Amino acid sequence: MPDSQSTPAPERSVALAIRKEKRFRPLGLTADSAIRRFFQGNAAFAILALVLIMVFLLREGAGFFGQNSRGIRVYRLAGLEYVDIIKGQLDRHAELTRAANALRLKIYSDALAKGAAPQAATAALAGFDAFAEALGDASEDVRSLASDLTEQAAAVKQREQIYQDSIEQKAMLIRAGKAGAAAAVSSVAVDFGREIKALSASLPIYKDANRLFAKKLNASLAMAGPQSVPAAWTPQLSGLKAAAERYAATFPEVEAELAAWRYDAPVPWYRSVTAFLFGRQWLTASFWQDWYGIIPLFIGSLLVSLIALLIAVPLGVVAAIYVSEVAGTGEKTWIKPAIEFIAAIPSVVLGFFGVAILGQSLRAVSETTWLAWVPGFPMSERLNAFTAGCLLAFMAIPTIFSLAEDALTNVPRHFKEASFALGATRLQTILRVLVPASLSGLISAILLGFGRVIGETMVVLLCAGNRIAIPDFTQGLGAFFQPVHTMTGIIAQEMGEVVPGSIHYRALFMVGIVLFLLALGINYVAQRVVQRYRISIG
Amino acid sequence: MIAVEKLDFFYGASQALHGIDLRIPENRVTAFIGPSGCGKSTLLRCFNRMNDLIDGTRIGSGRILIQGVDIHDPDVDVISLRRQVGMVFQKSNPFPKSIFENIAYGLEVQGVKNRRRLEEVVEKSLRGAALWEEVKDRLHTSALGLSGGQQQRLCIARAIAVEPRIILMDEPCSALDPIATAKVEELIHELKRSYTIVIVTHNMQQAGRCSDLTAFFYLGRLVEMGRTEKIFTNPVQTQTEDYISGRFG
Ligand SMILES: Nc1ncnc2c1ncn2[C@@H]1O[C@H](COP(=O)(O)OP(=O)(O)O)[C@@H](O)[C@H]1O
Ligand SMILES: [Mg+2]
Repeated sequence: MPDSQSTPAPERSVALAIRKEKRFRPLGLTADSAIRRFFQGNAAFAILALVLIMVFLLREGAGFFGQNSRGIRVYRLAGLEYVDIIKGQLDRHAELTRAANALRLKIYSDALAKGAAPQAATAALAGFDAFAEALGDASEDVRSLASDLTEQAAAVKQREQIYQDSIEQKAMLIRAGKAGAAAAVSSVAVDFGREIKALSASLPIYKDANRLFAKKLNASLAMAGPQSVPAAWTPQLSGLKAAAERYAATFPEVEAELAAWRYDAPVPWYRSVTAFLFGRQWLTASFWQDWYGIIPLFIGSLLVSLIALLIAVPLGVVAAIYVSEVAGTGEKTWIKPAIEFIAAIPSVVLGFFGVAILGQSLRAVSETTWLAWVPGFPMSERLNAFTAGCLLAFMAIPTIFSLAEDALTNVPRHFKEASFALGATRLQTILRVLVPASLSGLISAILLGFGRVIGETMVVLLCAGNRIAIPDFTQGLGAFFQPVHTMTGIIAQEMGEVVPGSIHYRALFMVGIVLFLLALGINYVAQRVVQRYRISIG
Repeated sequence: MIAVEKLDFFYGASQALHGIDLRIPENRVTAFIGPSGCGKSTLLRCFNRMNDLIDGTRIGSGRILIQGVDIHDPDVDVISLRRQVGMVFQKSNPFPKSIFENIAYGLEVQGVKNRRRLEEVVEKSLRGAALWEEVKDRLHTSALGLSGGQQQRLCIARAIAVEPRIILMDEPCSALDPIATAKVEELIHELKRSYTIVIVTHNMQQAGRCSDLTAFFYLGRLVEMGRTEKIFTNPVQTQTEDYISGRFG
């Protein structure tokens, strides 16, 4: 072996080669590190975009709570809250009246079904009708007082609004350098203390009206004697009467609440957050009071997604099992692309199909007599949570199918062979070995399907019926067939109409943030589940 | 016990076995040797019809009789065949379940639910596979936590739990270290008393140590079969001699 002194030549040539390479470095980058930077830059850009979106959402949405808090404060200062206490009492009365009418309808149609003539059936209910009418009229005096107070409070609120607008206008003029014009703008602050006196002064009047209300209510109940309904219906009638008595018993509480109410009681800081997160009303552009409660939208989104998953999970997973375990290679080559093609259908086309065909046909099906036993059938609305859920299921199937199929084919082949070699049937192998071994993959497929569904906009906007109300879950599964509105749908529908910077605009951004966090959460959980799965397969 | 008569076997269009004719006697260890790709595994997997799981495979001509029954007869239930003919694979493949569940699996798919019975069989099988002492305190932990050699013995225990007559082993020790290999070989020696064993191996010493009969395959054909001492010391065919003496393969 030659020693180092005897071979100086190669050493020099190596040094030369290194120097030569140095000369070809634009911006001090070698080709290798340039490529690295390029990929790094692309990844960084994606992350930057994500961060920017988050910052933008937060910036636009954050102002919401301040504005909402102010809105709630004015709601109290101007006495709207006070009037709403009385209105709540009247709402409960209206519910009672509705229940009475519903009972009448039942008795009436029962009589017809038993062969009575319409006139005879009506005549038999004369006593009940008198009772129902008296019950409905009992609230007269309170109602007229409430409507007077409504006008008063609304006027105060409006003056406050005008005052706020004028302040803003002044500020704008001063900023524009027109101090003179600014001084000319009249702005009169509302003295809530004085305004509210007129409202509180009505308390004795309310008490009188309320006493009358209670008296009339009791009088109406006395009219509902046992003969007013057929004997078979007496339990229902006494149920109704008991409800009315319970209702009458709450009157003193309402009075006490009104007496204790203070227009200047501070609004706690968290009220605007809880009013958003737990608010059961999303009510905008109302003359009375706007409410931005996300609950009806949140429940609408969840309900539609639940329906979609109930349909898509069995279909997607079973199709995946079929393709990965049962189908021959010939079938595989067309089933897989066919299912995955569904993902390429534009959602607006699906929505259009839902409006034009699916809703109509579902309703036609729901009206057939032999399906009358299904809760919620016949459907009262053509477009409802179920219609949208069906279409969303269709959209979620490719996601669930592809991921589930991947998870199943990734189960090492030797598990399957071991099972067959022990004399297990194909079904046993699928259920006892393949599904458990790919369970986390299947779960994450379902979760990502959920993420796909909850973020979908077009279909729900077109097909969910867009009624902003919490579905009536007392109807059980019938709730599936009620129209709902969703978080995505409301943003798409209202964003175009709102004034940028207004509370409504910011409320929509808050809904967007909730959606964003939900999607983030779902993806995070899905990823964690997949990690667990990799480890367990080893 | 097993009789193969003029068997031709195809993967799609390519023929993997050509006119195989051989007889495997009861309660003996028969070793299949030969260079890679000569069809040892293919023939072995014919015995429990595992090749049925691969698309496009077929028997061209010939038949396989196990205890006189043609296993490709349409009346033969492949599930019950596989219960009679157990298999241990090259790569140990316990399910990602507990040790207990692994062994009980074969019985559970037969519909055995009785817990006592399952416990008995698990213990018996693990003792049979010389694994009981090592795992009796961790029966309900994951089988994937065992060492490679233990996993392979677990697979043997799982195979014997359904009480087969025949056990097929496809290079069961190729992934194991020498100590684990010695344990499995010792086990094969024990099992011979109650089972007919067919073992594919690449390792000449192993074939010499644990088999009674040896069959040498080359390019999809059976070249020679006979008593192991005879094949190793005095083969008839020169190909066999060349292979055993390490001149090719
Ligand atoms: N699944 C398969 N599809 C097609 N050809 C196969 C398949 N498995 C094995 N073969 C072919 O069959 C021949 C025999 O293979 P194999 O029985 O695995 O050999 P050995 O076990 O002796 O190494 C080889 O030529 C191999 O390429
Ligand atoms: Mg092989």
